[in-house]
Amino acid sequence: MSTIADLAERLQDTGLGPVIAESRYLWPIIEGTHLLSLSVSAGLIILTDLRLIGAFLPRVPVTVVLRALRPYVLAGFTLTFLSGFVVFWSEAAVVIESPLWTLKLLLIALGGLNALYFELVIGKRPEVLANRTPLPRSVRYAGLASMTIWTLVIICGRLLAYVPR
Amino acid sequence: MSRADNILASIDHSTFARLISKSNHLVIATLQIVHVVGLLMLLSALLLMSLRLLGATLEQTPVSQVARLPTRMFWLGVTLAIVSGLLMFIGSPAHYFYNRAFDLKILLLLAAVTLQLALFQPLAAADSPPPGLVRLSVALSLLLWFGIGVAGRAIGFV
Repeated sequence: MSTIADLAERLQDTGLGPVIAESRYLWPIIEGTHLLSLSVSAGLIILTDLRLIGAFLPRVPVTVVLRALRPYVLAGFTLTFLSGFVVFWSEAAVVIESPLWTLKLLLIALGGLNALYFELVIGKRPEVLANRTPLPRSVRYAGLASMTIWTLVIICGRLLAYVPR
Repeated sequence: MSRADNILASIDHSTFARLISKSNHLVIATLQIVHVVGLLMLLSALLLMSLRLLGATLEQTPVSQVARLPTRMFWLGVTLAIVSGLLMFIGSPAHYFYNRAFDLKILLLLAAVTLQLALFQPLAAADSPPPGLVRLSVALSLLLWFGIGVAGRAIGFV
């Protein structure tokens, strides 16, 4: 485990790390980008989840809503991950010591797996593709799981801001 | 002390304000989380409605249908953000009142709400709104509401 700490220490001290951490403007700009990009990534994914649980556009096929929003969700996540990585870079050694960070990473992995499972398994079921109502319960569960997971990720992220640096 | 200072001081010394600022850090943290969640709700709802108005998503579905849930989500987000924001303000009124970024944020908020009610929502509800006006309204709305987010971020840095 100390090798991870060493790596994090080295990461934080090289390249972009110190540039961001010590800059008066770069840090709030990068961190602000990370936060606002969540409205694109997490926000639009939660709207697709609301479709999955039947609370949003219930008469439009799930596949149509997913296809329509997917490119924006993916673009949003790209921006969120890139900005998030730079934020992490500037505080790596400090933040990995917080259990909140481990939790956040685990939740992100869980959210990703949930999305992948939906795309590859649930979304391919004939009832879903044919938009037969009522949709299988797994669709609703996938939506609820996704909403919960990404909300928890956001809360963890917000609480990490209080980790002393 | 000026009249403004007197008012801010009396807010600050009120029992309610003490409840917020002197209590557990968890209260402020919770208020900040609610504030951020409200902001993200309104921004993503606005984004979806904007994309639809620009014809960039769900083009086959009527605007009024697409906008139904996002409109409610938008105003719920605004409410959560304003209520949590008010409570945080009451906890440290002078700190926020004399912060330039905060003042800008409130100005932007007033402009954004006005624009939303006077232009964006009527255009979204119209049968065939002029596309140029729609594009202008979307651009202004996005600029103002994301601008509020940026100004809020700047509060801790000016």
